[in-house]
Amino acid sequence: MTPSLIKRRFMDSTSMDNQLRWLSIGLFVLIATLSVLPSLRLLVEALSHTTFSASSPMAEVLRSERTWIALRNSFYTSGLGTLIAVILGCGFGFVVTLTNIRGRGIWVFCFMLPMMIPPQVTALSWLQLFGPASPILNTLGIEPALGSPQPMYSAEGIALLLGIQSAPLVFLALRTQLISLPQDLLEAAQLSRASQFRIWVDIILPLCRSAIIAGAALAFVSSLGNFGIPAMLGIPAGYIVLPTLIYQQMAGFGNDMLSQVAGLSMIIALLVLAGMLLQQWLQQRSCYSLLGHTAQSLSFRLKQWRLPLEILLALVLCFILVAPLFALIVSSLVPALGMPLNADTITFTAFYEMIGRQGVTSRAFENSAFLAFFSALVLMLLSLPLGYLLMRLPMRTRAVIASLIEVPYAIPGIVLAIAFILLFAKPLPFIEVSLYGTLGIIFLAYLSCFLSVCLKPVLSAMSQLDPALEEAAQLAGARPIQRLIDIILPLTAPAFFAGGLLVFLISINELTVSALLWSAGNETLGVLIFNLDESGDSVLASAIAVLVVLLVAGLMSLLSLFAPRLPKGVIPWHG
Amino acid sequence: MTVKKTLLLCAAALAFPLSVQAQDVLTLYTSQPNKDAQMTVDAFEAANPDIKVEWVRDGTTKLMTKLRAELSSGVVKPDVLLIADSVTMESMVSDGYLYSYMSPNRDQYEDSLYSEDGYYYGTKLITTGIVRHKKAPQHPTDWSDFVKPEYKNQVAMPSPLYSGAALIHLATLTDDESLGWNYYEQLHANQVMAQGGNGGVLKAVASGTKPYGVIVDFLAIREAAKGSPIEFIFPKTGVSMVTEPVAIMKEAKNKAAAKRFVDFLLSKKGQGLVLEQGYLPARSDIGVPEGFPKRTDIRLMPFDAAKTLRDNEANKARFSKIFEG
Repeated sequence: MTPSLIKRRFMDSTSMDNQLRWLSIGLFVLIATLSVLPSLRLLVEALSHTTFSASSPMAEVLRSERTWIALRNSFYTSGLGTLIAVILGCGFGFVVTLTNIRGRGIWVFCFMLPMMIPPQVTALSWLQLFGPASPILNTLGIEPALGSPQPMYSAEGIALLLGIQSAPLVFLALRTQLISLPQDLLEAAQLSRASQFRIWVDIILPLCRSAIIAGAALAFVSSLGNFGIPAMLGIPAGYIVLPTLIYQQMAGFGNDMLSQVAGLSMIIALLVLAGMLLQQWLQQRSCYSLLGHTAQSLSFRLKQWRLPLEILLALVLCFILVAPLFALIVSSLVPALGMPLNADTITFTAFYEMIGRQGVTSRAFENSAFLAFFSALVLMLLSLPLGYLLMRLPMRTRAVIASLIEVPYAIPGIVLAIAFILLFAKPLPFIEVSLYGTLGIIFLAYLSCFLSVCLKPVLSAMSQLDPALEEAAQLAGARPIQRLIDIILPLTAPAFFAGGLLVFLISINELTVSALLWSAGNETLGVLIFNLDESGDSVLASAIAVLVVLLVAGLMSLLSLFAPRLPKGVIPWHG
Repeated sequence: MTVKKTLLLCAAALAFPLSVQAQDVLTLYTSQPNKDAQMTVDAFEAANPDIKVEWVRDGTTKLMTKLRAELSSGVVKPDVLLIADSVTMESMVSDGYLYSYMSPNRDQYEDSLYSEDGYYYGTKLITTGIVRHKKAPQHPTDWSDFVKPEYKNQVAMPSPLYSGAALIHLATLTDDESLGWNYYEQLHANQVMAQGGNGGVLKAVASGTKPYGVIVDFLAIREAAKGSPIEFIFPKTGVSMVTEPVAIMKEAKNKAAAKRFVDFLLSKKGQGLVLEQGYLPARSDIGVPEGFPKRTDIRLMPFDAAKTLRDNEANKARFSKIFEG
């Protein structure tokens, strides 16, 4: 290479860097607005009344014994819940993706649905299912006596439901990795007479570790911020976790309430930061690169084990999907709570009332569908360049930024909503437009809250990409944006769609963020269900919940129609 | 004319077109259930066609959190509040957020139902009593029944740590000489389960998870009328009550309309609406809804909102020490 050529190449690369620089600046401004600003506003609120005296709200929070009890309980339930989610999600992931089990699509489809049933509904339906009024147990004549104790009201009960609720998060994160495991690796191992056991320990697990860790981190963080399940099962047992403690503080009316709530949230944020650093450290130790998709992905033949395994999966699904869904449908068809369902009592009044008479139903469906669709779309578009830039940063900087993005997802939705009210209640400076009281503020809050959900699978997929591919393109003169679109995007497409899909599924009946941010005319489905339920109209609430599950199942089937046109693995329940 | 006056006039002139427009819109924050809130607003708008009401509904706790966050960033959205309990109102009074208005309709009310200085007015009586599943073996008649051995692990109640009405219930019962804090200690010893709110208790009792419960009257009576296998009992000692007060914000943009809203709720017509919705009206000359005993047969236990506000923190701490260890 002559010196002049070297110089030209150098200049080329500076102009490329220019493109990158603008991209970076734009994206970091965005992160600052979506993630850092709300967290910072809360921090200011937490410290606002601090006077370095023993009576300041923050000191009171730290001194209170209940804070530490709640912290310990939160850690226990979320940890155990994550463990259950990992076992369930990985079990399903491995069996459904790597074996010749029949009807893969249906299994995946059914496994995704439990996320769609609001957690408090799942909790309630389980209580009803095994309680004295249980329709199934009553038919069999083995119902427990009135008022017999419920094992679900315990820390382990909370953890179990948290685990079930977040298992699809682990499953989807893992699945995107599994479908790119190449068959040739396995063949090579089999040719060299490796045992099944060695194949798992030496090939499959190391290649999936990063994805499993990413999934587990998501599950942990989402369990940490969950309010619905511990509220339903923990309050009756006198078992407090951080989100329920926060809710208690809010019922305290006083002026210091906001600072105390913000202070408690800061504790959750710290917990998350610690967890994220742990995740980064673990992932760093399991870095293997893959060359994108292979023509044929890994597949084990199950032989005589196929049928028993299928039965096992069916049983698990009965437990986590069919039973709660059944209870939900039953409770939407009775005239009033606690009545048995039979030919005389069955009625569609609740559906008629909600669809035909209440304009709020269609409005809530429109609002939620709009919010969920556009949040998913915008976040998918954002995570491509964002993930790309993050991967180019030094390890430590990346860890810090990734954790900052994680914070809004982890602090309870109700607190994030407070941060958004504090930020946006006044009209925006300069343009004098008020976002408050519009769908816009909920949309922004969703973007802030779910950015990490979308980004996680993407980062995990990108970290496994062999840099050789991109270097080759760079040597051939492709600019960063071109490389992004032509090389990175096709190779990581399943992760994007997985991320987008997760965002859609989580936000379609999101409750806690919109619970404070909604206003008349801007109801979301989650708010509608919760408000009906809270004011005692739980039959109407069940009817709406059934409609939501139907809607989502319908949308998911509709997506299958497009599956043949999309890159392999993009629609999880297809092929 | 002083400079100050000129400025004021200019400001008034500038504000005038706005205030004409604002005259039409009244913003209401309420914790009434959706359906009732819609009914109230519709009836008020029909009686006052020149005013349009924009309303936000949520549980009292969340609504107050929202309001506090708004106030702390310097924005006052609502003109009127219509929320569950007078203790919350008392805390708004002590922080100086409410406007004192002497409604002409107050003559028709007992003194205990409105604030002496006209900061807030009770609009209905929501009492807390006893609910039982129809298949349950026992027939409780008074609060003291729940500490008997046959009720061990069989009773659900709303938790005062989460529900404002339950906190008032706690304050009322612990102030009673025959019950007091000793009663709550016995309740815990008898494994009474503290649920989140009243909705949770309704579900627990109707589904038979717990055959007996402590609950607000209208919820149980309304569900029973629809066919739910439960019944509501007014205990002998008496019931505690919240009054769903209405109040005007000090910084309300539209005080004229707000005053008309308050007067409407307190009028005979407004109280008739309360009856129609299935609640006990605050005015005693309106009658009682179906399923309720005669007004004279309902014993109300005494309750002091200002004192309860002062004791709130201590009450919650003491309760959580007993129930959460």
